[in-house]
Amino acid sequence: MQRSSWLGLAFLSPALIVVLLFFMVPVVLTGFFAFTNMSTATGVKGGEYVLNASGLRALADAGLPANTLDQIEGAGYRVDAGGLEALAAEFGQPTADEFGKLHAGEVFTKRRDIERALKGLRSNPIRKTRDRKAAAELFKRSMMNERFPTLPAFEAALEEAKIPQADRPLITKVAYTGWVWTAENFGFLLSLESTWQYAKNTGIYVVFTLSFNVLFGLFLAIATFYLPAGQASTFRAIWFLPRILPPVLYIVMWRWFTWDTGFISTVLSSFGVAPKNWMLDTEFHAWTTIVLINGFVGASMGMIVFSSAIRAIPSSMLYASEVDGANRLQQIWHIILPQLRWPILFITSYQTMSLLTSFEYIYLATDGGPGGATEVWALAAFHTALNNYGGNLQYGLGATYALLLVVIGLMASLAYLRLFNFRNLLIKPRIEG
Amino acid sequence: MRQNFRNWPVLLVLFVFSAPLLIMLTFLLVDAFTTKVPGTMFPNGVTLHHFRFLWTDLDNGSWGIWGVTLNTFNFALFTSLAVTAISVTAGYALSRLAFPARGFFLGGLIVLHAFPTVTLIIAIFLILQLLGLYNTLIGVIVVKAALELPFGIWVMKGFYDTVPWEIEMAGVQDGASRFTVWWKLILPQVQPGLLAILIFSFLSGWSEFILPMVLAPGNDAQVLSTYLATMLLDGGTQADFNLFKAVGLFYALPVIIIYLVFQNKLMNIYGGGTKG
Repeated sequence: MQRSSWLGLAFLSPALIVVLLFFMVPVVLTGFFAFTNMSTATGVKGGEYVLNASGLRALADAGLPANTLDQIEGAGYRVDAGGLEALAAEFGQPTADEFGKLHAGEVFTKRRDIERALKGLRSNPIRKTRDRKAAAELFKRSMMNERFPTLPAFEAALEEAKIPQADRPLITKVAYTGWVWTAENFGFLLSLESTWQYAKNTGIYVVFTLSFNVLFGLFLAIATFYLPAGQASTFRAIWFLPRILPPVLYIVMWRWFTWDTGFISTVLSSFGVAPKNWMLDTEFHAWTTIVLINGFVGASMGMIVFSSAIRAIPSSMLYASEVDGANRLQQIWHIILPQLRWPILFITSYQTMSLLTSFEYIYLATDGGPGGATEVWALAAFHTALNNYGGNLQYGLGATYALLLVVIGLMASLAYLRLFNFRNLLIKPRIEG
Repeated sequence: MRQNFRNWPVLLVLFVFSAPLLIMLTFLLVDAFTTKVPGTMFPNGVTLHHFRFLWTDLDNGSWGIWGVTLNTFNFALFTSLAVTAISVTAGYALSRLAFPARGFFLGGLIVLHAFPTVTLIIAIFLILQLLGLYNTLIGVIVVKAALELPFGIWVMKGFYDTVPWEIEMAGVQDGASRFTVWWKLILPQVQPGLLAILIFSFLSGWSEFILPMVLAPGNDAQVLSTYLATMLLDGGTQADFNLFKAVGLFYALPVIIIYLVFQNKLMNIYGGGTKG
């Protein structure tokens, strides 16, 4: 390889590392996570093995034989250090010492047996039946609620409790608290009615916001093109502000505008309309506000792109049309709009994708409300995986939602390669050698 | 051109549509500095009370405003430095140097530039947890810089493309290495580009909300966007919009100043667009 090749790769390598770590890996991992049941409850890194009451119920429902369940619940009475300590505390050190000497390490499967052993102590027998019962309980070792950090530890415990071999895989599966691979997310999503609602909401959101963006962007660009320079630049500056202001502040202003004590309420109250929240009171108002919030930001992008495209039209064409007697509307329809075909296509496709995937403004403005009416697909993914009131964040399910967006995003970005004049970019560097 | 149309209908439509924006911006300024009787529109007194968060701690469990501001500044600054440092070399490589699979990397850059990165947030959240960078400012800086990078490289490549080849050829002819040519001759030519990326990614970092909220929700890494958003969303029905506007104004001050200074440059860059 030539030296410039090495320099090129060296110059590119920091960017490549970053791209690999934060684009390639997340894209692939979203796919992986979509096939897991990862959630707050399972943790991210892996889990332990523990059987609790609800696990036992699940096992019973799965048809585990009753005596296996009994074995799990009461795995027997084992004479170990912990039990002896407890015995010493309750019945005195000598009793514990003697019992330990005789039976340390033994496992009694029935309570009667351990009670008999306690009764049979030479020097310090426990005579009362009630005391013996209490003492026996101290040695009761159950698998219930005990945490096993690794699979071998759990299997050893199963072995010790003499659980039948055939039942072990099912028990292990139920006891595992970590995440596991599963393909159930997809079927689950399809079965949810709300999934279709999210899809419908996303459709409404994208179609209306996009129409506003493109049409109003066009209007702004053409209007400011014909207006005197001073007025034009004032309006451009006003419309550019929503884009440049921090999103949180932008939403503060909108929330104030529509709040119970905000602008609309105050103005209308002088006409006798009761104050209310004009953003969240009805679905229609919520959608109108969401479309306007996003549209006011989106239109400025259309304005900038269309404006520079209009300025690129040779002015001789415009002069010629005027000489031929065209009025402004004819000029716009026959000269300007045909020249804007590609910019319009660009804005439409670019914003379709960015609207499909963005949820920042909706989250801050309505958070999907009222009653889930403005919950779009991307916001649902965010809510499911990263932010919900229940507290159990379902990473796997959220990743399943996100996966669809990632796939659409990838396909659309690949389509960009065709939209761009890629050959121009591929011009060979001229200095080689 | 002949004046064969009337201005005023167009101005009227523009004005009607701009009215909400104008009202919001006007009252942003007015409400931050004034008091008024509830249920009325116009103020009845001037006050600095809404800016009390600057000298007293608000009772909302967060850091004082200055710690949060410092976090925001560090976040924006280090993000923009990282983006600029990486794109300045990568852009040059893609623009001028010949190396294997250059076409593939160029195509990849366009794909990345168009790719909606917010869809990756769930995976990135889990990656940061595994790396132990969750809930740290460094973690958010790294992620923000990474997501901003394709845009930075794209802009930087554009600036390199406009530098005449003759400069480099002359340098190489005189016996300088490609590295020296880049460092001594080309880099000074693209200084406006460096400045543009610095400013742009600083603003983008300063305004960023989703990444800090998801990746560093703890108090130690709080930035102004999450500070204001927490106020806004946790307020319930008793929202003190005068306070929100005062905080918002304080938050947006650097943005507004930078916008006023670099207005025309920014409009050109935003034409490339990263926001919906």
